[in-house]
Parts: sequence; structure tokens; C-alpha cells
Amino acid sequence: MSRYIVRRVIGAIPVLFFISFMIYGILLIAPGGPEARFAQNPKITAAQIEAFRKRWGLDQPLPVQYCRWLGACNPDHTGLAVFISDQGLPNVLPSFIGGGDNGILHGDLGFSIRDGRPVTIVIGERIIPTVILAGTAWVIWLTVALLAGMYAAVRRYGLFDSALTIGSYIGLALPTFWLGIMLLTIFASGLKWFPAGGMWSARDVPIFGSPEYWAFAGQQPLTALFDLGTHLVLPVFTLVVVSIAGDSRFVRAAMLDSLGQDYVRTARAKGVSERRVVMKHAFRNALLPIVTNIGLEIPFLFTGAIVTETIFSWPGMGRLAIEATNSFDYPVLMGIFLIAALLTVFANLVADILYAIVDPRISYG
Amino acid sequence: MADGQRPRASGSPVSSLSPADLEAIEDTLDYEVQLESLNQWQLAWRRFKKHRLAVVGSGIFLGMVAVAVIVPIFLPYSATTIPQPDKIVYAGRPPSWASGSWSPFLLMGETGRLQRDVFELVVNGARLSLLISVLATTISVLIGTIWGGVAGYFGGFLDTVMMRIVDAILSLPLLFVILVASKFLGSGNWVSVTLIFGLLGWGGISRLVRSQFLTLREEAFVDAARAVGVSDARIIFRHILPNSLSPIIVSATLSIAGVIVGEAFVSYLGFGVDVSQPTWGNVLSNSLEFVTQGNWWWPFFPGAAIVLTVLGINFMGDGLRDALDPRSRL
Repeated sequence: MSRYIVRRVIGAIPVLFFISFMIYGILLIAPGGPEARFAQNPKITAAQIEAFRKRWGLDQPLPVQYCRWLGACNPDHTGLAVFISDQGLPNVLPSFIGGGDNGILHGDLGFSIRDGRPVTIVIGERIIPTVILAGTAWVIWLTVALLAGMYAAVRRYGLFDSALTIGSYIGLALPTFWLGIMLLTIFASGLKWFPAGGMWSARDVPIFGSPEYWAFAGQQPLTALFDLGTHLVLPVFTLVVVSIAGDSRFVRAAMLDSLGQDYVRTARAKGVSERRVVMKHAFRNALLPIVTNIGLEIPFLFTGAIVTETIFSWPGMGRLAIEATNSFDYPVLMGIFLIAALLTVFANLVADILYAIVDPRISYG
Repeated sequence: MADGQRPRASGSPVSSLSPADLEAIEDTLDYEVQLESLNQWQLAWRRFKKHRLAVVGSGIFLGMVAVAVIVPIFLPYSATTIPQPDKIVYAGRPPSWASGSWSPFLLMGETGRLQRDVFELVVNGARLSLLISVLATTISVLIGTIWGGVAGYFGGFLDTVMMRIVDAILSLPLLFVILVASKFLGSGNWVSVTLIFGLLGWGGISRLVRSQFLTLREEAFVDAARAVGVSDARIIFRHILPNSLSPIIVSATLSIAGVIVGEAFVSYLGFGVDVSQPTWGNVLSNSLEFVTQGNWWWPFFPGAAIVLTVLGINFMGDGLRDALDPRSRL
């Protein structure tokens, strides 16, 4: 077992390496670039741009730039000494045991071109809103999908099952952005039940995440929570509707599969109550694929939903990605890419390992 | 087998049969003997026809294709024509039937700001949306089939390397990559959008094809072909590929729907096809500004076209999955 886990983890390393390569490559061939912002400025001379390029290492050959970005090379040294940190040890090592402190391997994602702040801070302040939105939606759609899928499987071909089938066909066909726009048309502009976007009412509540906000939330927790809640309803509903379709089908299929097994028939033949058969015998075994599927949804919680966040102007990771793309903000984009890819690889790994642990039939030699 | 039943003359006693009747029976018997067995595709077609939703779905899809091809030819005005320019309404006018005038113009209202006719945009958008999705799917299916086929057939180290590359491609959030790629590799042109979707979307299909090849290459007929000295390329394309065709067809069908939604999404955000060439996605792109003025018809109709088409394709794909599965008795 542990051999299997070690092998899977080692197998993920080349994938991560390749991903870093691709992310670097994609953004390398892109137009714009770090010095693009000087193009419109008549006061900046060619010599200044040259100095800027030298200062940030853009005059170096590409492998060196990549190596520095990765954190294996030390930007202060030249020649073969680039692999040695200032403390005299290989630069790849963590800085507290004598390695370097530059590059993504050391958690240094660079600075945002747009506002000059470290990328880790820019991304960090967007993660909480995304987790709030995606997490709320995730909990709701998972609960509903579990219940609906189970019920549909138990009453197969019943009225509810048919309704769920039709509903999930429609849910799978609904584009998120269209659903969002139509919800805004009906509930925000027509009926005026919910706000048309954003995460807080700027008139009544301080900016989310600021110290004033937390002070306000401490004094009037109900007002703050209610305000957040009204802003959450429409985007959460959008996410739930488009995501529930696939998941409920998945739960239904897994349940049907385990309800058809021999041990379920045996349990019924022994006179076990139907409730017990469904909950103890069938559902427990159906959980195997469901848990794996849930594991694969983890990255979504952090990378968020690009469309939903854009339409409802939710200040999360998805919208940050759009903003960064629009303003050619490479370092931020690379950071988002990297986090998303890391999480996906990690979730795949966890799903595989979980599956091997919970299902003894899987061979992992 | 209701349609295969042969007519029987069992109702009448044999003694009362005239020679002519007997001859007729002989004829039916001859016919029965000559009846050829149906091949795999004919059987699949017969199963497909019985899948009611699939027939409806293909009807919707083919109808959309027909509309996209035919209707723009007969439209009396082009994408840039303002139907009744004397009444300037900034937010656009509602559909004619909603205001009770039933004029042939403004069937779906007009957009805000530029006051373009929504019906015209939807119909012209169908052309580009469908063309992009079909072309991009063709590209990704071709790449994915060859990639997965080679990896699955040869196995070993080559397989490991090729599949790790697929892992990496699938680990990148596809929409992020498409956003960046279309922003940077010349957005606005529908050809580049097609290429981006085609060149980035083959990961899933290659995994599918590989898994098919992994099982099929162990079959006796592959051993037999190899023993006779058939080349690897011929075994891959003539012996194994035809046997793994049905899952590829199903997944290609569903991938068309995926590209339609993906393209609409990218174009909606302004990274896809330029607004001078309408697609279902970019028609929606500025509609959010006018939603607060009750301008529901602008986003509604292009989006409804997407939903309808995707629904039709998904029905079709499910029908194909059942029909192409030789074990299914539909």
C-alpha cells in the first residue's frame, strides 16, 4: 500500500514539472510582457528599459530565466555558481536549511504588474470570497444531489426519477453565464428581490476583508451575515443548478449499481428492512465512487467559477483571472494557473489513493 | 421484430388454397430465404430509430443546422441593418409580438445601443457557432484518436510518457488556458478560436481511445494479424480502430455540445470571436449592461438557442450510445 502511494506521488512529479514548463511557455509566447507598460510613456528612454530588463533578469537566456523562476538558480550568481545559494548550499533547498529564497519552489510568485504587490498577497485576498461562494454552493449541491440521486435510484423509473432525468438534461445544457444573466434579469432587475451583484452593499457595509468590516461584523453580526446572504443567493443558485445535474446522475448511477449487487438481494431475502438495505448495504458501497468524485471537485473550491464570479461581480479567484488576463498581468496569471494545476494534480492523487484504500479489490502492486 | 414478420396464410384451411395462393406463399418463402442479415450499422440505426428522445434530439440539431444554412440567405437585412431607424430607443425594442404589433421584423426584439436585430444575430450566430464546434471537434477527435491509439497500442514507456503529457494538459484548467491563448494568439478570428478548441480539447478522447486499445490489442484477431505480418499502422487503423469506433462517435457528439458552450462562454467574456462576426456567445456579450432596463429579449433568445441545440445534441449522444452498443436490446 505505502509503496503504491509513494509510486503515485513520485509519478506526479514529472507531471508537475511539465505543467510548470507549459505555464512558462504559454505566457512566454504571449504579447505584452513586463516592459509593455513603458511603450506608451514618452519619458522613458531605451537605456532605462535596458536597465529595467537587466534589473529583472530579462536579458538572460531563456533556460536561465526559467531556472530562476523555478527557484533552482540563484539570480545573484553567474556561470556554474547559479545553482549555489548565498549560503553556499544548493539553491533548490528550502531557505531555512541554507537554500535560496527566490522562485516558485520557495513560494515566491513574483509581483503583480498591475499594482506592484506580491502575487501571493493579491491571490490570498481573493481566496476567502471564492471559498465562501464555491463552498456554500458545493455543500448545497452535494447534499441535494446525494438525496435526489439516492431517492431516484430507489424509486427507479418513478415520477421523481423521470423528473430528475429531464431536469438534469436541462441542467447540463444550461450555460452558466446565460442562467446568471436570466436570473439577474428576473430577480434583480425585474422583481428586485436580490442585489444585482457584488459581495456587500457598499452603502451599509465596509469593504469585505478590511479591518473595518470585521469590526462591523463584530458589532452587528446579523446585519453583516444577512447582507452577505442576500448577495450569495443568486450566484449560489446558479452554481447549484448547473452542477447538480451531473452529480445527481452520478449518485443515481452509483446507487443503482450497488442496489443490483448480490449482497443486496441476500439482505432482502434475509428479511432486512428496506430502509436498512438502502442505508446500510447499498449506500455504504455506493459511497466509494461518490467519494472519489467529490475528491475531484476540490480544486473548484479554490479556483472558483470564472463565469459566475464575473457575472455577479464577486471578488474571487475566477474574476481575478479575467482581470489579470485583460491587463496582461503575467505573474498573477501564472500564480493562478500554478495553484489550479497543483490542486488538480493533488486532487487526482488523493482520489486515486482514497480509492485504493477504500476498495480492497483494486490491485496496487 | 415487428417489421421482420413474414405474412402467413395460417387463417385459411390448406385444402381451400388455390394454385395462385400456393404460388404466392412460395414467393414469400423465397423472399424469406433471400432476406440478408443486417450489418452492424443497420442494426444500430434500427435501435437508434426506436430511441424517441434521440430522434427528437437529432431533429433539433439538424433543424438548427438547416436554419443556419438556409435562413440567412433569405433575410432581407444584414447584421448591421437597423430595422426601423426612425424610432431611436437606446435600450432596444422588445419583440414585436410582445407589444402586439406582430410585424415580421423584430421577431426577437433588438439589442441595446447598436439596435441590431436579435433574430438576425441568432440565425447568423448559428452558422459560426455550429461551424466552430464541428470543426474543433473534428480536430480534437483526430488528434486524440491518433495519440491515444499509439499510446495504447505500443504501451510501455511510450505510453507512460504520452499519458503523463495528457495528465498535464488535463490538469491545466482548460478554460483559463483558452482564455489566455485566445487573448494572445489573435482573438477575434473564428479560425483561431476553432484551432484553440481543437488543439486543446483532445485529452479526454485520447484517454478513452487508449483504454479501448489496451483491451482490444490483447484480442486474438490482433495476434492473428500480427502473425500474418500486418504492419503496426495497419493494425492500429484497420483492425483495432474500427472496433473502438462507437465510443469515439458518442464522445465526439457530446464534445460538439461542449465546444458550443465553451465557445459561447469565451466569446461572451470577449476573448473569443469578434462581435463583427456574430456567434451565440458574443451576441450576449454586452447584454448584461442593459439587463437593469428590463431588456430580457436580448440575452434570452441567443441563450435559448444554445440550450436547445446542446439539449438536442445530448439526446442524440445518449441515443447513439445505446444504439451503438451491440449488447443493448432496444
